[in-house]
Amino acid sequence: MNAYRTLSSNFAWAVDRLDWPVTSEVGSGLSGVIATATRVSWLDPSSGTLEYRGVPIERLAGMHPFEEIAHLLITGRQAKDDRSAYELFLNQLRSSRKLPEDVISLVRSLDPGTHPTRILRTGVSALGCHEMTKEDELSGERHWRELRIIAQVAALVAQIARHRAGLSVMDFRPENDLAFELLRAIQDREPDPKDVYALDLLWTLFADHGLDAPTFTSMVVASTLADPYYNVVAGLSALQGHKLGGAGENVLKQILALASPEDARLWVASTIANGGKIAGFGHRLYRMPDPRVVFLRKEVAVQARRKGVAELFDIARAVEDEALRHLAPRGVHVNINFYAALLFHLLGADGPLLPCLYMVGRMAGLMARVREALENPRLYRPLDRYVGNPERRFDGEGAK
Amino acid sequence: MRLYSSDYRIQTYKKGLENLVVNDTRIGFIDGINSKLLYRGYPLEDLADNLTFEDVAWLILHGELPTPSQSLEWANELQEWRHPPQEAYDVLNYIPANAHPLAQYRTMITIAACHIPEAERHDLEAQWRRPGRILSWSACLAAAAIRHLHGEKPLLPRDDLGYAANFLWQALGREASPEEVKAFDVSLIVQAEHGLHAAAFAALIVISTGADLGSAVLAGMGALSGIRHGGANQTAYEDLVGLASVEQARAWVEKKLAGKYRFPGYGHRVYKCPDPRVSVLEPYAKAMLEKCGMQERWEIYATVRQEVEARLGAKGLYANVDSITGLVYAPIGLPVAAFPIPFCLAIETGWMAHCLEYLPRGAMIEPGAIYVTEE
Repeated sequence: MNAYRTLSSNFAWAVDRLDWPVTSEVGSGLSGVIATATRVSWLDPSSGTLEYRGVPIERLAGMHPFEEIAHLLITGRQAKDDRSAYELFLNQLRSSRKLPEDVISLVRSLDPGTHPTRILRTGVSALGCHEMTKEDELSGERHWRELRIIAQVAALVAQIARHRAGLSVMDFRPENDLAFELLRAIQDREPDPKDVYALDLLWTLFADHGLDAPTFTSMVVASTLADPYYNVVAGLSALQGHKLGGAGENVLKQILALASPEDARLWVASTIANGGKIAGFGHRLYRMPDPRVVFLRKEVAVQARRKGVAELFDIARAVEDEALRHLAPRGVHVNINFYAALLFHLLGADGPLLPCLYMVGRMAGLMARVREALENPRLYRPLDRYVGNPERRFDGEGAK
Repeated sequence: MRLYSSDYRIQTYKKGLENLVVNDTRIGFIDGINSKLLYRGYPLEDLADNLTFEDVAWLILHGELPTPSQSLEWANELQEWRHPPQEAYDVLNYIPANAHPLAQYRTMITIAACHIPEAERHDLEAQWRRPGRILSWSACLAAAAIRHLHGEKPLLPRDDLGYAANFLWQALGREASPEEVKAFDVSLIVQAEHGLHAAAFAALIVISTGADLGSAVLAGMGALSGIRHGGANQTAYEDLVGLASVEQARAWVEKKLAGKYRFPGYGHRVYKCPDPRVSVLEPYAKAMLEKCGMQERWEIYATVRQEVEARLGAKGLYANVDSITGLVYAPIGLPVAAFPIPFCLAIETGWMAHCLEYLPRGAMIEPGAIYVTEE
């Protein structure tokens, strides 16, 4: 029997091999449940370990461009180990960025104030109509499409950002990296290489993080052998939830309203004293600092100084220090959204766009896991336990 | 209601979370050994013969049969929502006509979702205002998607018709006979709720993130579109269409059995016994087929079922609901590519009920993945 004490802090979430069935603890929201065996990444919140395909996140952060991270997650190989395979991968990504004109028109026909996650979901759905005809059989065995979808999501996010900002349609230049092109769309000028570095860093850190709701939803849908665009539409529907998609926006709302570090400290202390929530703190899994935060904090410091708003970093630092003084003893730490939201903001993105932007990075992990789920697919079909009315009869007149 | 009672704390389950109990429910009971399906305590056959889909949907959502005044109010609410945003229809101009009908339908729904009232509200009260709109919008848009298959324009709804009759009117462009309406309505009723199948589970994950009910339904539709799941009634029917006679059917089954064919519409993760939904629907399907001179197809279906079950029944493999619904939809005149759609319209009721049941204390659903190191 394979029994795992998965909720207790000393379980490492890694094993030599996994044999079904398994026995584990089952917590609220299915925490502790082992939904799949994976080779994509190792996340051990109790030790702060995060590895993509065996490479620690500490070594990947700052790798450039993001396409190499996507390649690593999806194929399991580093670009430097197989240059020619990586070139093919890159070409596939780059050649997929051009969206059908009808899809761009559709995006532009929507009210620019519509929440970007809803527009993105619509765009992906419409793309699926262009990419697949009814003659395509509805099965998930088309791996090459996954790469296209990653590039297409990025291209859609770029067009949505421009539509929101009242800017014209932008054509992607095939010779540039994704991050460069996305920033060119958002900033409406040739981006600075330091900004490109920052966006690559964000995407790298967001690229995979266990079975978050969008990823797990996509896996469940993929297990029915639905078409790959539907997997993504379903995943984006989970992103749409305010508990996920709203996280970064809430951080910006709170932090940007603060005038100075002193102001920040006072606000944090009084908010916590009154039982309020500080956005960007606390994580379901981590009881220690999230290993990804350190890279983002440093980058926010650099970028804030570069952009002449060093005060913003001081305010964020003050919020973090003051909040941790109260919350760290309870095991609550700053999470990835806190500094990520500020960094996206410094790169020129507005709050509602944040979930779409981070999703571009997450698509790499999502697709890697969907591909893994399709290797040996088993339909996800758990049970519920009936605790309702005992059997009763009805004869058309009334209940008996 | 206890969502996580103490005896759930340690569980044993298989790949695909088979046997894992996710939560307690008061909605439906599936007895996969004694061939029984209860909605809120009532056996399927009692409801199917005596009620409309609208009233059964109310029962599934609210827990009790509607009183006459509730029934009327609910019918009115459903009727008022029969006018989805025009933009959702217009989107058909932006997508190729040769796309899969389910993909076109999905795109219409995603557009409609850009125009929903109180979109960014996620409190329970706002969520409870959504089921009527979702049920009616999805039916109207489905009918438009079906007409679009033949290049025809959408039709306006008819206020004198109930849910099933109006759907058939908007999809077919003709008023269906009372027998057709009843058979179709029964097909909706028997497919309106079925526990935490993959689609309901997908919906539950999405609602647990704080998304709106429509987003949860959209994820459910995604799972349902898969050939392993909701698409099976289409393939099961296509298998039957390929068979010209009872003799040929017998030989075909024999050959396929030898080749270890996975018969679409046969076998079920939960039922290891005859599927109770099949026995409720069969008389309606048989009558429909006979009425339009398709008795032969009925005989072929019955032969395939008999032969497959004779050989595989001992292993717990029986005809499931997907083997039979096509035999109701084909004589009514629904195109084969659209067969998964009525299933979707019906079962979104169950998804919404599960979502609304989960919401009051629902934690975000986020299981773990275990990293396997062995090469």
